[in-house]
Amino acid sequence: MQILRPGRLMRWLASLVWLLAVTPGGSLLAMQGLQETPSLQALVDAGDLPPVEERVPQDPQVVELSGDKVPGEHGGELRLLMGKQKDIRQMVIYGYARLVGYTPELEIEADLLKSYDVVDGRVFTLHLRKGHRWSDGHPFTSEDFRYYWEDIANNPDLSKGGPPRELLVDGQLPHVEFPDAHTVRYSWHAPNPYFLTALAGAVPLYIYKPAHYLRQFHPRYQSAEVIEELIAQEKRRNWMGVHVNRDRPYKATNPDLPTLQPWVNTTFPPSERFVFTRNPYYHRIDQNGRQLPYIDSVVIGIASSGLIPAKTGAGESDLQARYLRMDNYTFLKTTAKRNEFDVRLWQTAKGAHLALYPDLNTNDEVYRKLLRDVRFRRALSLAINRHEINQVVYFGLVQESNNTVLAESPLYQREDQYSWIDFDLQQANRLLDELGLTEVDDRGVRLLPDGRPLEIVVQTAGESTEQTDVLELIHDSWLRAGIKLYSIPSTREVFRNRIFSGDAVMSIWTGLENAIPTAENSPLELAPTSKYQYQWPKWGSYYESGGQSGEEPDLPAVLELLELIDAWSHTETHEQRVEIWRRMLKINREQMFTIGIVNHVPHPVVVSNFLRNVPQAGFYDIAPGAYFGIYKPDTFWFKEERR
Amino acid sequence: MLSYVIRRILAMIPTLLIISMLVFVIIQLPPGDYLESHIAELQSQGEAVDEKKIQFLREQYGLDKPMIEQYWLWLIGMLQGDFGYSFEYDLPVTEVVGDRLFLTVIISTATILFTWMIAFPIGIYSATHQYSWGDYGLSTLGFLGLATPNFLLALVMLYLANVYFGTSIGGLMDAQYIDAPWSVDKVLSILEHLWIPVIVIGTSGTAGMIRRLRANLLDELQKQYVTTGRAKGLPPGKLLRKYPLRIALNFFVADVGNLLPQVISGAEIVAVVMSLPTTGPLLLSALQSQDMYLAGSFLMFLALLTVFGVLVSDIALALLDPRIRLGGTVSK
Repeated sequence: MQILRPGRLMRWLASLVWLLAVTPGGSLLAMQGLQETPSLQALVDAGDLPPVEERVPQDPQVVELSGDKVPGEHGGELRLLMGKQKDIRQMVIYGYARLVGYTPELEIEADLLKSYDVVDGRVFTLHLRKGHRWSDGHPFTSEDFRYYWEDIANNPDLSKGGPPRELLVDGQLPHVEFPDAHTVRYSWHAPNPYFLTALAGAVPLYIYKPAHYLRQFHPRYQSAEVIEELIAQEKRRNWMGVHVNRDRPYKATNPDLPTLQPWVNTTFPPSERFVFTRNPYYHRIDQNGRQLPYIDSVVIGIASSGLIPAKTGAGESDLQARYLRMDNYTFLKTTAKRNEFDVRLWQTAKGAHLALYPDLNTNDEVYRKLLRDVRFRRALSLAINRHEINQVVYFGLVQESNNTVLAESPLYQREDQYSWIDFDLQQANRLLDELGLTEVDDRGVRLLPDGRPLEIVVQTAGESTEQTDVLELIHDSWLRAGIKLYSIPSTREVFRNRIFSGDAVMSIWTGLENAIPTAENSPLELAPTSKYQYQWPKWGSYYESGGQSGEEPDLPAVLELLELIDAWSHTETHEQRVEIWRRMLKINREQMFTIGIVNHVPHPVVVSNFLRNVPQAGFYDIAPGAYFGIYKPDTFWFKEERR
Repeated sequence: MLSYVIRRILAMIPTLLIISMLVFVIIQLPPGDYLESHIAELQSQGEAVDEKKIQFLREQYGLDKPMIEQYWLWLIGMLQGDFGYSFEYDLPVTEVVGDRLFLTVIISTATILFTWMIAFPIGIYSATHQYSWGDYGLSTLGFLGLATPNFLLALVMLYLANVYFGTSIGGLMDAQYIDAPWSVDKVLSILEHLWIPVIVIGTSGTAGMIRRLRANLLDELQKQYVTTGRAKGLPPGKLLRKYPLRIALNFFVADVGNLLPQVISGAEIVAVVMSLPTTGPLLLSALQSQDMYLAGSFLMFLALLTVFGVLVSDIALALLDPRIRLGGTVSK
């Protein structure tokens, strides 16, 4: 090993000289100075794999590693732990190779694509990289986009309701063209601000599919006999079953399905151990001409989720955050030294770690009327002692906040976080008195207009005692405002069904999914657009189904939110979008449709001492960060001892 | 005897039919279906769900059909050896269960042997030395085993084994041997991991077994034929083995009925805690996610084994113990 060192240094110096000589022609340099991956050398020598120059696209994406991140070397095996077999889809999230993707600064940039042009926010021209290949070596071209558009999205059997919602503007389909093998154009009659963010999502919209592979399962390209045979063999109901089961790029359960991700699954389920190996045709290289990913393989062990913190503490994972909780922190810290790993605290990016959702669509008329009164919602919020909750449950490590965007978002404004969240029983009581809830029973609980005591039942999904602990504290302070709180834990399905049917009066759940949005992210979460928004499930359902189910919203502030959503969908400029976002945040802040409690809850991330380039601090959340995805796990590398 | 066996076997058919109905209904009782719990899970992790796609899957999985029809298809399929399709794994049920069955049998057999090896001598000793220090001491130990929660013991032992022996936590072998072909190293790795679950599952079983053997044996030891034998000068060891012990073992044979399903299902809770690649956790998660054909077929399999095991133990008892055999004919 010692002898190799100077040689490697020389090579590195040589490429550095190259860099200085040829910059800014980065891609040209890369082609000249490409280095073969050691673990693939044998395959290349044997002629089983073309050399690296022919594997990477002619104009690969050059990842410039600078600052805290340093260029690394190939090799090693990354061990991860997951709770169940279905979790291997996390590799598609961690890999985060998307047509366009977010940078850590949350800007969208071309990734799989060489570039893209947008005209008037409605004509999107996507330029593919020449020579880009699928993980099986087959070229990745506009044919793959055509296959998706014509044979999947517009096939009445495979997509009954037509293409997904993100591809529709005002219910109208785009005009999709494929001018040549490396160009794809989507044009709508009006702007479609959802398109790029959908492509960049952690759970992306796949508008391309490996046509050369999937064609053999599609009746348009395959003879009826072969398909019949496959249906019988796999005991499917029809050919769609055969096709769909193969075509699940997000699930990563089919090792035969070609992919563009940095690592490719090689293990057929069921298994307790999944091995992902490097994609030899991956499109990213580093500035030294090394094809990414640095790490040769990722091994995912499946263990029961309760045991994962213990296994991680025993040093059985090199990079672990999933299934770890804040209360594992001290245990992990004590074993960190012995098992050579580091425990870092990352941030979660939810608008609220916990938020109360007063159900404005609840069936109980008296409560519905009360909950729809903004004064009541404000009183509820003012009667929560967030500081106490922070100190008692979270060791004072979190921020007391509304359910709103975090300070890290460019859309953040201080008053969005802090209005109506001070612990002010006096004001809360005054507001409640104003509402005419002046009668009390012998417990000091206020009486509703119909004589019932004001007892609010909060539905919880009952998965952790944390929620019930917090509710217990809220119970105490609410009681001082004359409100009695009960909590009912139930399983997730029951919990949701109670809310959907309107049986719930209030529920507790996490806040905004993406709380570090830019103006380019859709503000759908701030208006009733989905039945999964527990403050107005029936209005959300109404929007989602186009008026088929649910109830029509009638609250003025909510109607304004819906108008703003519509306006945002037709915006063309950044400034217009910022304007709309701010307005919607303001309405939500003033109306307190959800009652956020705390946010900025840290999440422990365990990183092996041998693993480089994992940031010290970051965001751990699926949207918009794709967990580790935006930090580019393909640039993580192992120190020499583990290669 | 033959007609008895035939009648018993015929009676198994309606029993199993009723069990199959019960199993199916109970699995379907919680609100929603597999896809709803699937959506709930995705939602809780912030992953978007496409309603159109869910509808498509519901049709593909046949969940849109009425329950009676689903039941009928499942029943007919099982008779033809098709146990249905696991939604969670996207595979036929037989493939999902297949690999795990073997490891489950290994663990269970080892555990049962362990239980017998410990419980037998202790049970006999404490019955023959009733109210001695040894009896008290060993009974206390047995009760301790019975009273210690299995999952707690499992966690403690996992931790100790990891710290002192460097055994990887949970599972039944080191990670690199999973899915690898069988080799000496793999067997050694399994042995290294096997002893913890065996001891953990075994301790509670051992205590129960000791108590039952002791009680049964004490009953017999009081009887007059034992006194007679002793008076006639039979050596104590021979006397014990030849008469009371044999009769005290009846409960043991009767236990076979429970043993068979036990061997297949493994101890669920311990297996979940220790993340063993056995069938227990599989069944549990299938029930949680309402993966109904996986759960249903598995429960049916267990039911079949129970019914069959009871039959075997009844026949064995009749063969072994003339009193049962003769008593049967007298009453007829």
